[in-house]
Amino acid sequence: MAHRWGMVVDLDKCTGCEACVTACHAENNIPTAGAVEAGRGRAMHWLRVERYWEGDFPDVKVKFKPVMCQHCDNAPCEAVCPTYASHQTDEGLNAQVYNRCIGTRYCANACSYNVRFFNFFNPQWEKPLHLQLNPDVSVREVGVMEKCTFCVQRIKSGKTAAKADGRELQDGDIQPACVQSCPAGAIIFGDLNDPESRAARLTHSPRGTKLLEDEGTEPKVTYLQRQSWNEPDTQ
Amino acid sequence: MPAWLVLTLLALGATACVDAPFSERQQAERVLQRSRWGTSSVYTPARTGLADAARTHFGLRAEPVQPFAYSHRVHLAQEMACTDCHQGVESGPRAGLPGMNTCMTCHAAIATEKPLVQAMTKMQAEGRDFAWARVYDYPREAHVRFEHAPHIRAKVECSTCHGDMRQQDVARRVVDMDMAFCVNCHKQQQASNDCLTCHY
Repeated sequence: MAHRWGMVVDLDKCTGCEACVTACHAENNIPTAGAVEAGRGRAMHWLRVERYWEGDFPDVKVKFKPVMCQHCDNAPCEAVCPTYASHQTDEGLNAQVYNRCIGTRYCANACSYNVRFFNFFNPQWEKPLHLQLNPDVSVREVGVMEKCTFCVQRIKSGKTAAKADGRELQDGDIQPACVQSCPAGAIIFGDLNDPESRAARLTHSPRGTKLLEDEGTEPKVTYLQRQSWNEPDTQ
Repeated sequence: MPAWLVLTLLALGATACVDAPFSERQQAERVLQRSRWGTSSVYTPARTGLADAARTHFGLRAEPVQPFAYSHRVHLAQEMACTDCHQGVESGPRAGLPGMNTCMTCHAAIATEKPLVQAMTKMQAEGRDFAWARVYDYPREAHVRFEHAPHIRAKVECSTCHGDMRQQDVARRVVDMDMAFCVNCHKQQQASNDCLTCHY
């Protein structure tokens, strides 16, 4: 059976340390925009940690929520792309093909989660920082959209390594950069078509919710939390 | 409007822009913006100039210049296999270009009287290694990520993409690897033709 990649984020474990954000930037050659461009809304973070404050100081409760591309089954970004640059792969990834992208930015406007980013400039790194760019990931040029890929390069190399060893792909063989870097183990990645995988089991957890579920986008990322995100804290 | 008037107005406009006061941060931004289009201390995927862009567009590339006159033909005539030197080809994405140590595994004892081998031994004594030039690669904006290992497992011959190396001394580009070349073979072998198979 084909894989169907999905993710589970345990918000009860997340401490908001942003190690995942840093790892994502390093793994995927994501440029930093700088303060001025970020002020114009041109910052790029395939994965961001949203921060919510509840109550007034000093009785505040802080909640963190890492938000990346939800890889929707019914993705609004795919339907609007005139060049099929944004499409669903056989393995359930919401793919962005840079070669096809002509930069209409329809997808970013259609996306409910604000996780698609446009390259307003050619990215740049002070030399010799360009030597630390990940050779397994392209450097996107000006005029194309980009987004979280679930670290498709790692999915591919994980499959290649398993085949080279002549074995089946095990649950946990493939770890996107955010999963690998999370010190609390709050992010779990796996095959939703494999009922035994951790991600598939946790997807059906009673703690689970999906972002903007009522929009019908059918995300493949599940958020676990002791209480529903929208209900007031009754404890 | 006469041409000289237009030019004067433009020059005046440019001067006004330069003289306008800028905050320190704006100054820093201006420096950054200038370097976005390819000055030396900054890496960017932008072309350094129009000529460079035109060369890429029309696929004009200089033949690679190698640091050492290694001959594939001579070595393959000795019944050597490609994997003897390109050792990563079966296990990972990159086949790998051999370093000095790989060569000296054999040449510490074999053919030591040849002038080229002696030159290499001298290089090793000086602590130098080979900086081989890449022969095959893809343009940056092709966004192609090629993996050797799956192709070797699928029994694709090396010569399918690299030509018959027994006929070549220094490696040259003899096969034009465009997308049709890849896609046709993928169709024949019933390999995946999803964009994300190669482009990411």
